[in-house]
Amino acid sequence: MNEKILIVDDEPRYLRLVEANLLPEGYHVLQANNGQQAVEMVALHKPDLVMLDVMMPVLDGFQALERIRDFSSVPVIIVSAKGEEQDRVRGLNLGADDYILKPFSASELLARVRAVLRRIQRPGPMSEGVAIFRHGNLTVDFARAEVFRDDKMVYLSATEYRVLLQLVQMYGKVVPSDQLLKDVWGDEYTEDKEILWVSISRLRQKLEDDPRNPVHVVTRSGVGYIMPKLEQ
Amino acid sequence: MPDTTTLTVPLSPQELQALYEISNAVAREPDIEKALEHIVKLTRPVLIFDNIVVYVKSSDGMQPAFARIVGRGRAAEADLAWGESIASNVINTGHLEIVEERLDNWEQNRLNLRFLLALPLHGGDEIQGAVVFGRFGGPPFSQEQIRLSEFVATHIGQLLVRQQLVGRIAVLEAERRLQTIQENFIAMVSHELRSPLGFIKGYTTTLLRQDISWDENTRYEFLKIIDEEAEHLRGLIDNLLDSSRLQSGAMKMQLQHTPIDELIREIYHRVKRLSQSIDIQLDIKQSFTTWVDPVRFTQVIDNLIANAVKYAEASPISILVDIVDKHPLTSPKAGHIAVTDFGPGIEAEYVEHVFKRFYRVPGKTAQYGAGLGLFICREIMHAHGGEIGCESSLGHGTTFHLYLPLREETEMPSNNMESPE
Repeated sequence: MNEKILIVDDEPRYLRLVEANLLPEGYHVLQANNGQQAVEMVALHKPDLVMLDVMMPVLDGFQALERIRDFSSVPVIIVSAKGEEQDRVRGLNLGADDYILKPFSASELLARVRAVLRRIQRPGPMSEGVAIFRHGNLTVDFARAEVFRDDKMVYLSATEYRVLLQLVQMYGKVVPSDQLLKDVWGDEYTEDKEILWVSISRLRQKLEDDPRNPVHVVTRSGVGYIMPKLEQ
Repeated sequence: MPDTTTLTVPLSPQELQALYEISNAVAREPDIEKALEHIVKLTRPVLIFDNIVVYVKSSDGMQPAFARIVGRGRAAEADLAWGESIASNVINTGHLEIVEERLDNWEQNRLNLRFLLALPLHGGDEIQGAVVFGRFGGPPFSQEQIRLSEFVATHIGQLLVRQQLVGRIAVLEAERRLQTIQENFIAMVSHELRSPLGFIKGYTTTLLRQDISWDENTRYEFLKIIDEEAEHLRGLIDNLLDSSRLQSGAMKMQLQHTPIDELIREIYHRVKRLSQSIDIQLDIKQSFTTWVDPVRFTQVIDNLIANAVKYAEASPISILVDIVDKHPLTSPKAGHIAVTDFGPGIEAEYVEHVFKRFYRVPGKTAQYGAGLGLFICREIMHAHGGEIGCESSLGHGTTFHLYLPLREETEMPSNNMESPE
């Protein structure tokens, strides 16, 4: 408990609304009025979760998310009135962990916040004792939750990291899509294939030399995803 | 040895020049009418004809699209329908045709001996129409002239195809523009409506949370927000309805002969009473009484004041009433009301657009607005036979000028809607 949540919106009434619902839950709430401020506050205060509006002056939510992802893997929920399919996919593509559409109810808001925070709080699936996992040019350091490709550190969002861990844990076996959704996102997400596709595609962009011919995160059509055993 | 039976007579330099210029005219002239004029002018010295008509195939046969009488037939200018039957044949068969018409008395009046040369106009895979050259009094068309006429027909065919394409592109463009406007409108309206709805939904469900009992102050704060946002939503819906009623002419003005100073004073005192924070001044230099719909006219003034509050935060607002000379309205004098703020102003390039439906000045940070308010103001002013104008200076402020025709009590406008558009 007492996670720090940064809420970003240029509408004081939205800030007040979200704050009013989060404070009684014991969260510590920080506020920013535009994208630029949001980026600065993420760097300065290292919040546990960011709730980001899209349409804002100075720097909009998408631009802010892009900058945040340059240096931080903090979970980000986009909260927007822009509900078009392409906006949603764009947000997820830029590394958002979830997307809430305005208008929303207080309970929906809290459920999403809890779900995203739950993801990062759950202990890693790897059994103790194994500190480093290698797969080709890929290295996962569990103790630090860091991922390297060719010895260069790769920034993964909290969600992407959890997807990767699921595949590592089941190394050499297929992980069904609905199980990935359930384990990483939560029970209420098992039907949301799109959110999984976007995360898998982002993981490949970051981890694979050739994202179109992946060797680390491989699709098993109609079933799920696998991190295949490599020929030694 | 050249085969003398085929048509190998070389073109004269004059003919070559004409061909070259015809090609040029077709390629360069965007207007089909002008291009045909060029062709007629260039062709006539080498082809020699008195009449030319271009028929274009239409859904119910064919229509003359262009006709010129350039030579000896000028006296018979009224008789433009000639060549119809030969043109229709050519369109049907797709082959060139030549006829010799001997009208009554042709031996005495050589204009009654007519040679008609008709050629199909090909464009793409289809026959687009036919061109008919008429020569009155002979001699018959020579083989070289027929060859030249084929060249001309090819170019006219291309012109027709191009014109069709231009027409189709224009239609598609217009459809695309309309669609973009509609899509923007739907996106904008849904966003505008969703914003207050989001607050109402959010704050209501917050109050309904069963795991928390909100204290009295918080409950009041949230309910007040819900109330204000519901009001905002109502205003948006009213504006949408008003603008579509004004657009379709379905809104009728309930005109009354009204003393403007009284009406403006009423608005002034109401604004003062409702929001002490607004610094509003009233300056009635010269009042007037004329025909207005008091409700709709109040709506215009309210809208201008609301805009000033919204876009010129914390600026004083001044309202001036007087009578001006030489305004280009019905009479030499017009009633004038000016609503001025001393805010940031509007950039010159945007000022002319502010009255357009759905227009919003780019870069303004104000939260809401569907771009309907000033459009509605303008439509209401037009319905009064009046006018609205905007004058703005960056860094100094903005003034909206309203002009009303001065009409005596006996001069009630008969037509309630006097929209100039």
